[in-house]
Amino acid sequence: MPPAVVVTGIGAVTALGEGVGALAAGLAAGRCAIGPLTLFPYAGHAAIAAEVRASMSSPSGPLPRATVRRLSRPDRFALVAAAEACGAAGLGPDLGRDAAVYVGITTGGMLETEEAYRRRRAGEDDRFRLSRLLGTPLATAGAVVSQALGLYGRRETFSTACSSSALAVAMAADAVRRGVVPIALAVGTDGLCRLTYAGFDALQALDPEPCRPFDRDRRGLSLGEGAAALVLETAAHARARGARPQAAVLGWAATSDAHHVTAPHPEGAGALAALGAALADARVGPDAVDYVNAHGSGTRQNDAVEVGVLRRVFGRRLGHLPVSSAKSQLGHCLGAAGAVEAVVTVLALREGLLPPTLNLQHPDPAWDDLDLVPAAGRRASLGVAVSSSYGFGGHNVSLVLGREAR
Amino acid sequence: MSVDVAVTGLGVLSAFGAGVDRFWRALVAGESGLGPLRRFAAPPGAAPVAEVPAVEARDHVRSPLGRRIDRVSLLTLAACRLALQDASLDAASLPRARTGLAVGSEFGNLDETAAFLDRLFARGTANPLLFPNLVMNAPLSYTTIELGLTGPSAMLSAGEVSGEAAIAWGAELVAEEGADVCLAGGADELGEALHQIFHEARLLSPTPRPLHSGADGFATGEGAAVLVLEPLARARARGARVYALLLPVAGFALPAPVHGWPRDAATLATRLAPLVSDADLVVAAASGDPQLDVLEAAALAAALGTRTALVTAPRAATGRFGAAGALAAATAALAVAHDLVPPTPGHVPPARHGLAVVAGRARAADVRVAVVDGLARGGACRPLRFEAP
Repeated sequence: MPPAVVVTGIGAVTALGEGVGALAAGLAAGRCAIGPLTLFPYAGHAAIAAEVRASMSSPSGPLPRATVRRLSRPDRFALVAAAEACGAAGLGPDLGRDAAVYVGITTGGMLETEEAYRRRRAGEDDRFRLSRLLGTPLATAGAVVSQALGLYGRRETFSTACSSSALAVAMAADAVRRGVVPIALAVGTDGLCRLTYAGFDALQALDPEPCRPFDRDRRGLSLGEGAAALVLETAAHARARGARPQAAVLGWAATSDAHHVTAPHPEGAGALAALGAALADARVGPDAVDYVNAHGSGTRQNDAVEVGVLRRVFGRRLGHLPVSSAKSQLGHCLGAAGAVEAVVTVLALREGLLPPTLNLQHPDPAWDDLDLVPAAGRRASLGVAVSSSYGFGGHNVSLVLGREAR
Repeated sequence: MSVDVAVTGLGVLSAFGAGVDRFWRALVAGESGLGPLRRFAAPPGAAPVAEVPAVEARDHVRSPLGRRIDRVSLLTLAACRLALQDASLDAASLPRARTGLAVGSEFGNLDETAAFLDRLFARGTANPLLFPNLVMNAPLSYTTIELGLTGPSAMLSAGEVSGEAAIAWGAELVAEEGADVCLAGGADELGEALHQIFHEARLLSPTPRPLHSGADGFATGEGAAVLVLEPLARARARGARVYALLLPVAGFALPAPVHGWPRDAATLATRLAPLVSDADLVVAAASGDPQLDVLEAAALAAALGTRTALVTAPRAATGRFGAAGALAAATAALAVAHDLVPPTPGHVPPARHGLAVVAGRARAADVRVAVVDGLARGGACRPLRFEAP
């Protein structure tokens, strides 16, 4: 038996607020954090988003003040979430020498880069200023987290669109299980920017109303932003240092559709392969799964393909298996989505709370037999849950999480 | 359990053109790939750059979807096709679900991102045809679609070690038997805005002199390189040529400014010492950036101690860019295969710290172990170690 991988700390910055506490409270209350888009002016079909409005703490550690001042929004999100997770796990500089950092991210400091680019093109700046572009490389988020928190093991940054940080969690868990790193921090982070907002809008992929995953009238996604972080180590490593597991990462898998640059495979071939392989990796049968934290983006195609995949994996049991989409509360956090939803799933397992699918007025008749946890969350004792993320270009990741290691 | 990983194919698009033979011949001849900017108008006084000559989409794209391919994705796809050909593998007969793909890029699609933003700022509208190409993982999407690969795939971005990071990921995947074949490498393009940023920040030198005390800047560039990785046993069974073995080496990080190079050469030396203790060749990260040169030379000298290892710095010939480490990895594998170390164009002896930098002409040497040291700003280090089979 390979060693069990457990989660000993979690952290989050989402539109529901700073910290896991604010996230858990918002999930329990069924609060929708999707509101007016205020970060930049935009005139298009949609004008809403799940923005992070919290005035964040600044756990900058030894970082120089000038560096902290110039952090891009997503780098700051990442740092705040990572510091919370490390604090909860008791992952400090003593363990930090060999602690790995795995990041999932898609656009990083694009909002700041856009502004620097605009100023230079408009002649408002007579030259490009490096100080305005420090957050441009995607690797910066990992550098910020590593240097501020003293984590000096291997550092990897993954960018597979909306599955980026699900892949980061999977790869961190994989490295821990194989024993190549003793402890790892997985972080997902992304910030809203003009490029993604206008791009998704131009593809007519944004719902002008807060997104309605699995609804008959769903019209697309609502973009969000934020960060989430998880500290992973083997159960034995946690026990030896007296760290309390909050959940376990039981299995994972990543596949590629090799089908289309934006559309999912019509039968969800890659998504099906990822979910099947993740359950096999976890040595968990479909019957043992108590909750599905869906990708549930709210686009017409995704939700239909995803339900099809779930039917094939869970068969007739699907009608009795709660399925919900956290994106109805938090928006689609893109590169951060996988980690945010992994943390949501850990909370569901730990707190015994099924997060709801909001904005579900009329479940699509094609799946009105499903338990989509509409309107409000509810209590349930959960042992095993799956969380899947599907990225543009057909990059699929499924994670299997458990309340306890098996 | 892990298996030995063999490098059985190389695909390179560099300033020297397409193909590994052209790349290696030019490197060994000590040629510089630097020249005047051609793809866009150069600002007055612009330093030479390492540009990849035009690559034709129709030579590499087969699917209708691929007609809209962007340049970084095309460089990636072309490098993959060339690497497969070099490995005597046919894309159609690859085990689809057991073939992995790892691509590293620092910035991805710069040209179309700039065009997208130009229109957005000018007219307030986005171009829906461009947007799918702007996601960082577009090279991964196009390549999996074109080659029909459904196995594990990853896009990695790790600053100056984006190429090394992807190759290391692929090597681990194959070593742990997560795939029977993995295409691993990286690609970056030189965008106009990025060039302008480097130029205006005065980071570029007309005459890069890596590892020399007079180094005053680097040459930027672009390119792609992909390695075919497969288990040694599989390579042997199909009678494939094996350039080198790629050994598992852990990445690590050092205290460093978030946006700068690590400053403590002694700590870096301690981490590099076990890697280079029996190395015959170090393929250095040096590009003529004085801060990197100071760090790298001191760390290598201390890590090597009284030993001598040959040092070469291919970024002097083919430019410094995020995925340049993939070209450095190809250089290391080729040096092991040919027992030949290419010189570092522009390097003038004496080298900093008395390093044995190969300059002028290529040096024949028994290269059994070649290490790519893999240094990046922000403190993440991603070394690679190649050994003779």
